[in-house]
Amino acid sequence: MTTAGKRYEALVQGLRDWQLEAFVYVPSSHVAPVIRGLDESGQPGFMANREDEAVGIAGGMVLGGRRAAVVMQDNGFGNALTALTTFAVAYHVGLPIIANTRGGLGEYNSMIHTFGEAVPSLLAAAGIKTERLGAAESPALWRSTACAVAEHAVMTHRPVVLLVDVMHPGSLDG
Amino acid sequence: MRRLEALEIVDRVFGDHPVVVTLGATSREMASLGQRPSHLYLLDSMGLAPAVGAGLALADQGPIAVVEGDGSLLMGLSVLPTLAYLDPPKLTLIVLDNHQHASAAGMPSQSQRVSIAELCKGAGLKTEVIADAARLEQALERHRDDTAMSVLVVEIEPGNAPDVQLLLEDPVRIAGRFADALAARGEGGGEDSS
Repeated sequence: MTTAGKRYEALVQGLRDWQLEAFVYVPSSHVAPVIRGLDESGQPGFMANREDEAVGIAGGMVLGGRRAAVVMQDNGFGNALTALTTFAVAYHVGLPIIANTRGGLGEYNSMIHTFGEAVPSLLAAAGIKTERLGAAESPALWRSTACAVAEHAVMTHRPVVLLVDVMHPGSLDG
Repeated sequence: MRRLEALEIVDRVFGDHPVVVTLGATSREMASLGQRPSHLYLLDSMGLAPAVGAGLALADQGPIAVVEGDGSLLMGLSVLPTLAYLDPPKLTLIVLDNHQHASAAGMPSQSQRVSIAELCKGAGLKTEVIADAARLEQALERHRDDTAMSVLVVEIEPGNAPDVQLLLEDPVRIAGRFADALAARGEGGGEDSS
């Protein structure tokens, strides 16, 4: 398995370590291996058209007593900020969000960095806790961090975002 | 039919079953009828109520009612195909259509020219249009007891009920008691609660 594959699998395993019960996702090529991995491991997955929908659906599941997470791409935070702040943050919904990042090293799209580079500061300005993983962290650390982020979201009654850089050349090889 | 009249019927028919209520005057008017722990008032998340209701339904918390407005639904219209695709069980989406943004100075909504019911039907959702109180009560009773998802588009008069207080409660309290009410239902407290 490639290093990238190991990191994707580590995210799946980390969420399974947390005993995830359902996930809501917005389709994206660079997070598709996580979605497929969760699906293949038997986790119920629910597709949304937009990231704010995903926050609403997964948040409803959490209020209904389920361990649910959102899987998405970081440029979708532009769609999701109002739902995150006025619902998930304001109503203390313990919701982990796994989001692949775009616009960094290894990016092939000429404009997506215009949003992606701003995501960490946008989330910080909205008071949303964020953790990050990249090429410097081992697959084992990706796994334990994914589980810990989910636990932390529930423990602190708020959405917590895990930004994962899967496009950096160092995430792909080595 | 006035909005408050429609909300009284929803409150009576769904009883202590979960009800997700959209923002603005709709939440305030529903709360003015007497707050229930099983009511989740979304104080500012315009367009999000159907998604939250879907999540609750997918977590097997039905029967669930979502009370949405025409303007709010139009803000989050992409949820209609999502609802049709996911087909959350025991979910009734009630769209109170007054053809205006009554909580936004009464400005017109696009439902003056665009049919909410046709949009719902176009997404593949089972949809019924209701214009009078007696039919609304019958339809709600029928849909509450149905295992499938459905939409009721309810024609209501424009405007808001007078002298209704602002709903200033901390959302954390609203969510906490709502989750507690769901947990109590899960322990057997929710049967025959309407």
